[in-house]
Amino acid sequence: MQVQHTVIDRVDHAAEDVVSLVLRATTDSLAPWEPGAHIDLTLPNWLTRSYSLCGDPADRDRYRVAVRHDPLSRGGSEYIHHYLRAGRALDVSLPRNHFPLLPAPQYLFLAGGIGITPLLPMLAEAVSADVPATLVYVGRSTSTMPFAEELRSRYGDRVRLVATGQDGRPDLAALAAELSPDALVYCCGPAPMLAAAQAAFPAPRLHTERFRPAARTFAPNTPFDAVCARSGHTVPVAADQSLLDALNRAGHPVPSGCREGVCGSCELTVLSGDPEHRDDIGAPAGRMYACVSRALTPELHLDL
Amino acid sequence: MTQVRVRPRRLSPEEVRERLGRPDAMVEAKILDRIDEHFRRFIAHSPFLSLATADAAGRADCSPRGDYPGFVKVLDEHTLAMPDRPGNKIADSFRNLAENDGVGLCFLIPGVREMLRVNGSAYVTDEPDVLARMHTEGREAVLALVIEVEQAYFHCGRALVRSRLWDPASQALADEMPSAGELITSQLGWDVEPKVVDEGLEDAYHSLY
Repeated sequence: MQVQHTVIDRVDHAAEDVVSLVLRATTDSLAPWEPGAHIDLTLPNWLTRSYSLCGDPADRDRYRVAVRHDPLSRGGSEYIHHYLRAGRALDVSLPRNHFPLLPAPQYLFLAGGIGITPLLPMLAEAVSADVPATLVYVGRSTSTMPFAEELRSRYGDRVRLVATGQDGRPDLAALAAELSPDALVYCCGPAPMLAAAQAAFPAPRLHTERFRPAARTFAPNTPFDAVCARSGHTVPVAADQSLLDALNRAGHPVPSGCREGVCGSCELTVLSGDPEHRDDIGAPAGRMYACVSRALTPELHLDL
Repeated sequence: MTQVRVRPRRLSPEEVRERLGRPDAMVEAKILDRIDEHFRRFIAHSPFLSLATADAAGRADCSPRGDYPGFVKVLDEHTLAMPDRPGNKIADSFRNLAENDGVGLCFLIPGVREMLRVNGSAYVTDEPDVLARMHTEGREAVLALVIEVEQAYFHCGRALVRSRLWDPASQALADEMPSAGELITSQLGWDVEPKVVDEGLEDAYHSLY
């Protein structure tokens, strides 16, 4: 995995239980990115965590991410909140984008809590391109919603803050009715919000990104063979084993992050055979995510 | 090797105290009854500990636990939680805890000479909110140990300094040991190539969760 060396420039309180981190390049400028992209942070406690970039893509010297302290943290967000401070060196991955902003004549952005992060640069881009755009930003109360004030002062009426504790949930059906037929909807937030968006907006117009995998069930695992085309090695993948583990164990190291089909760091190129995609990213044709996805054919030929 | 059993002289507690002298007040004052922010930081960076338990009769057991740094979660300043990972399924610690809930933990951080000692009582849980925090490598922990902290203190680094545990040169000691396969086949009188056992172990060490 290609690594970029950064140093933490500042850590700011962004809302209740949310900090924003500004990372500065230590040598060259940082790799370019577009709205919707995320990076993996490699933490001192050996964990890798993905966060959406929420700064300014034109600033090639800095990345900004925002992190909510998850009360059920497995060690990522808790570590960041307790122990990451300005001045510390931090290695990050190149940006990846599974949530790109496609051209459209109108946008509706729907953010739930920390789900605001990928949508922040999207809104900025839409506004600077003079495309009509609205942000509906939902949270328990404004004190729990990072960047709420910044958004309101910068974008005025284009931003609607909904504090559910006071205003209740937004009426997505009403929003859908107001929208022009060519508009695209971008939604990032907790699972119930994504489910509500999926019920309210037609699938082809809705683009979503999740923090954690959707609860789904799959057909029972079956074993298959992964053929590493470059070396000619065949790696058997047992039913109780992931493709990622099998490859790593067989001496074909594949980088990984979330290990639950959300971050995309274990992307592989499939040369032939049909993958059974179990990720929440939506793998492009010819790609798959080795941590969760398996095979529909007895063999998968991989560009490894 | 001689087969005569060696029986060194046994000292009474009074004799031991007489030889050692009294601990100074500083040593006792450093014992806290909770996990403060410094101990919390220690636990967040520790990938290894040994866990001591004993059965109802006081027969003791000491078992190593390791994972990524911070695998032991600080639930609050009096409560820790530790995942149970697949091991040999003997579950000595769990069996002991069913009879006697006393535990002693000794946390290590590679490169740090001081250790964190935690004593208290423990029980086993399957509480979903605790297990959710222990999910790793795409797998859930099935059980976790909840530790109620009674004492927590830094243990001075003399043992680690004397043992040169963090000195990379100390790893040359490993060259003086037979491989695990050689050791096991010899101890158990197995008629197998030690290499086969070593390869089997190497393979098992690749599936850690």
